[in-house]
Amino acid sequence: MKYPVYVAKRLVSLIPVLFGISLIVFFLIRLIPGDPAATLLGSHATVQSVAELRSQLGLDLPVWQQYLTFLGHLLHGSLGFSFVYNSPVTDLIATSLPVTLWVLASAAFFTLLVAVPLAVWAAARRNGVADNIIRAVPVIGLGLPSFWLGIMLILLFGLKLHWFPVAGFGTTIPAHLWSMVLPGVTVALTLAPILIRSLRASMVEVLGSEYIVTASAKGISRTRVVLGHGLRNAASSSITVLGVNLAYLTGSTLVVERVFSLPGIGQQMINSILGRDFPTVQGITLVFAIMVVIVNLLTDLAHAALDPRVKLA
Amino acid sequence: MSAPTVAFDPLEPPEPDVLVPRRRLRGRRRNTPLVAGLTLFSLIALVALCAPLLTNHDPIQQSLNEAFLAPGAAGHPLGTDALGRDVWARLLYGARVDLSVAVLAVVSPFVIGSLIGLVAGWFGGWIDTIIGRVIDVVIAFPFLVLIIALVFTMGPGTTSIYVAITLVGWVAYARIVRAQVLVAKEQEYAMAARVSGLPTWRILLRHLMPNVVLQAIVFSMSDIVLTLLAIVTLGFLGLGVPPPTPDWGTMIQEGQQFILSKWYMSTIPGLAVVLTGLSLALIADGIVEKANRR
Amino acid sequence: MSDRDTDVPDSSGPEMQDHLRIPFISRRRALQLAALGLGAIGAPTLLAACGASTAATTSGGGSSAGKKGGDLVIVRDRDSVAMDKTTVFSNGSLWVYQQMYECLLAMTDDGQGVKPWLAESYEMAADKMSCTFKLKAGVKFSNGQPMTSADVKFSIDESSKTKGGWEFINTAIKEVTTPDDLTVVVKTKYPWAPLLADLSCPNNGIIPKDYGGKTAKDFYAAPVATGPFMWDTWEKGNFIRLKKNPTYWQPGKPSLDTVTWKVVSDENARAIQLQGGQAHINEAPPFSSLEQLKATPDVKVELFPSTRTDYIMMNQTKTPFQDVHVRRAISYAINREAMVKNVLFGNGTPANSFLMPTVPFYDKNTPGIQYDMDKARAELKQSSVPNGFTTTWLGLSGDSVDSAISQIMQASLKDLGITLKIQNVDGSAQHDMTGKLQYEIAHSYWTMDLADPDELVQYALDPDSGGHSFQTGMKNAELIGLSRQAAREFDKTKRQALYTQIQQKAAETAFLGFLFYTPFPYATRSSVKGFQVLPTGYYHMENVSLSS
Repeated sequence: MKYPVYVAKRLVSLIPVLFGISLIVFFLIRLIPGDPAATLLGSHATVQSVAELRSQLGLDLPVWQQYLTFLGHLLHGSLGFSFVYNSPVTDLIATSLPVTLWVLASAAFFTLLVAVPLAVWAAARRNGVADNIIRAVPVIGLGLPSFWLGIMLILLFGLKLHWFPVAGFGTTIPAHLWSMVLPGVTVALTLAPILIRSLRASMVEVLGSEYIVTASAKGISRTRVVLGHGLRNAASSSITVLGVNLAYLTGSTLVVERVFSLPGIGQQMINSILGRDFPTVQGITLVFAIMVVIVNLLTDLAHAALDPRVKLA
Repeated sequence: MSAPTVAFDPLEPPEPDVLVPRRRLRGRRRNTPLVAGLTLFSLIALVALCAPLLTNHDPIQQSLNEAFLAPGAAGHPLGTDALGRDVWARLLYGARVDLSVAVLAVVSPFVIGSLIGLVAGWFGGWIDTIIGRVIDVVIAFPFLVLIIALVFTMGPGTTSIYVAITLVGWVAYARIVRAQVLVAKEQEYAMAARVSGLPTWRILLRHLMPNVVLQAIVFSMSDIVLTLLAIVTLGFLGLGVPPPTPDWGTMIQEGQQFILSKWYMSTIPGLAVVLTGLSLALIADGIVEKANRR
Repeated sequence: MSDRDTDVPDSSGPEMQDHLRIPFISRRRALQLAALGLGAIGAPTLLAACGASTAATTSGGGSSAGKKGGDLVIVRDRDSVAMDKTTVFSNGSLWVYQQMYECLLAMTDDGQGVKPWLAESYEMAADKMSCTFKLKAGVKFSNGQPMTSADVKFSIDESSKTKGGWEFINTAIKEVTTPDDLTVVVKTKYPWAPLLADLSCPNNGIIPKDYGGKTAKDFYAAPVATGPFMWDTWEKGNFIRLKKNPTYWQPGKPSLDTVTWKVVSDENARAIQLQGGQAHINEAPPFSSLEQLKATPDVKVELFPSTRTDYIMMNQTKTPFQDVHVRRAISYAINREAMVKNVLFGNGTPANSFLMPTVPFYDKNTPGIQYDMDKARAELKQSSVPNGFTTTWLGLSGDSVDSAISQIMQASLKDLGITLKIQNVDGSAQHDMTGKLQYEIAHSYWTMDLADPDELVQYALDPDSGGHSFQTGMKNAELIGLSRQAAREFDKTKRQALYTQIQQKAAETAFLGFLFYTPFPYATRSSVKGFQVLPTGYYHMENVSLSS
């Protein structure tokens, strides 16, 4: 199947995904206890004022009708109005999403920076000292909780050494980049161990296979063998691992955002769930869904591109 | 194509066994990682099992006048926590809780996810499409909403954690196995099996599965640690293992407010997680070794 | 007074309920006052607490120890919700917009009365049905326009007319007239002593007439008012900033150039930012961190007296909590001293009454039930469940104080044969479930905004007030009768006697387990001068300066 057709098919499939997820979230969040109006007004609000606010927010309509209103807004390109901030959800997301994307990009960058060379080295030097160290040491990063790692990094590199900002996102591009280092490293310390092992495992498998033997026998230098053939093929299966984890990460940058005071979308999602800000929860869920589908799509494409044995469905 | 430049040069005369084709072995070397990993993990599990023998403190016994004793205090080798409970005892009994929850919570996603991935990859077509979309929905779903809903409906206890993790965790395995199947099904042995007339389930389970499950197993070792950490994150939100059951996640979370003053409170259980993670990682590597020696 | 804050909750977090519950007005309270016709009660004994309090020194400038200028940063765990003074209740919003909107009158430092602010003098008519205010001359809005009586009329009427908000404060007001540019006459429907206090509430803050030509929405997106600070910018979820009002009417104030309230949900991150100098004031650090903060160079910890009191609520509509012996047994099992030590780290005192020392008519001799395990066992033996029972604590996820209290109770109750299971839900859910009496036992708290106990007494004892008797479902006819009687009593001695009786009986019936009284904690850098928090939780930024 040709790529453009495949991509188009996948993007079209976005619609049932969005529909499904918005439906589930819409109903689920209304089923759990906790009323947006009561939460906003506090425990001493009179019954009348809670009712008044519920009516203003459209919460006194039957749920299916609320859902239709929501769909209606969606068709006009609007994600609704936040109950809490009284501004369009799209505006809220437009400010918080870029922050999270920066964090993800930084995390991916540092993960690859650390994981790829180490994995290749470990695989090439299989069972040697370097291999064992490379496999063992990063596990420390995996086991320690990210809020702990984050705080430690801030204390050392931010507070004591003043190399990086202690918190916040900054206002200029260079400031953004600078403020992304510690958060990105924190996340990378958790992701890298996973990627190292999986990349190493694939490389070992590939390096032990027959066609590598053939290549070596043909006199191609070992570097070329390891990197040119080995890495390329090992990468394809590891791309999946990285892709899956990055997709998960979209929702779990929360801890990093908290600790580094980054006004990202993970933080915003948590706040809106706890505040029962239904429109914002629904809006962010849709945005997440789109991001996840796109990341999955890119992962599958990359996998196919890197490994000619794979045929796209 | 020209070889990419490298920052380092790992080259030396190649080690013999890398160049050896897969099916010929020149003597068996000890599978160090597997041995080391299994030993370490068994040690941890043993320590957890023998907890009552290794401490005479009750992990939930509070002693409000003896709170915050530093490690090395009399009678409390690792000190006490905010409510005067012995940290060593909580660490040991917490191991029981965490090891069982983490392992059990990974088993069902592993089994369910691998089977689904197998089916999706093999059959392709609309089955794959539908499963793919379900996967997308699950990944994009806000986990916190799910947890709140489950805790609310199922009440206090660890069951809601199992259910939540299973509902969400199978996806990784499905995707990993599916990707492997896409490669494997074009291989000769798979094609041969297909035309041989064997029933599909047999092809899938007996021929395909052993070949594609490697990456899933490797990931599962990391996943156990990730699940442990997920429980810590839930503890962060106050939605983890309910008190007074000791567990490393709660201990880390309770120590979080004292990071700046008594950093060891979060670090000690954190190190326990690290050790466990290390043992699992070694086991994973050992499995990879074994698979490559067939 | 609130037992739940209305602010935008912070993420996930620890300190979903922070230690600083700043009160907001009780609508119910004011409606009751009106209904009970308490106009005769003199202003000194009764006031609506939301009034902006005065500075420590109104004239003569604020603290002169600091230099001019500077950008002050406050870190807190939640954001503001909106700047609309007529409908917004969240403290995170109130404390910010109080630096912009000023009223005719302001609360005095001790919280016992009011004093002139934008009105330089006032005079109550002989029939007590109206009050004439003379406005200060030369007061300008931050856009340079002079403030006149037309603006005052508009501002008060605006609040009276906007539904679903603070309008209940103004229910006694019949009409506002403006004989000339600097005179305002407020007429009431009946003699109403709390009028002056009402007019000091932020909802009656003075804004330009007709929103200065804008729509209400546009106006509140960038408000213009007379206060020491004016609107600058708001990055929602991140920070909100106000800047110095160059035309402020108090000479020499404010000292600061800008004040920024930053949202930092992680408590460790807040402490680090304070330590590193990125923040000057850390609002409501957890008690567990105070020791460490005190030891930090250049940082000082301040504990301001408050009216906050914590309780354990027991739902009497669920067995076996309707049995007084069960409740008394549980109350005897509360080890308050240990809680103060382990949960508050010494920053509090055990409670003996459901009223607190900082409120009038509190009786320190109330023999509230105190820790005694023998008596606890004796009470349980007399109860309907002598062999114990199982119950579930509805905990607040992410709240370390709630978590510690529940675990301490879990251990104590186990001794009695009572099995306490702990179920944690998030703040919004807990609020919902306790409000609907769908819980068994849980922790809660209260802060006052009036210098009068009636607000809490009504909420806690009289189901008609809408609070289900502090969500316990109690319907004690004797207590209800006494509380209504006390509200009508003007003679102070007799009133005290009644409240003493009420406190005693309330303690005997153990409808709430009284825990402890705590202060408002703040951590500030030593360069911050003149920062003070009043018992209502408010502060005045025009008095604050930064020394170098």
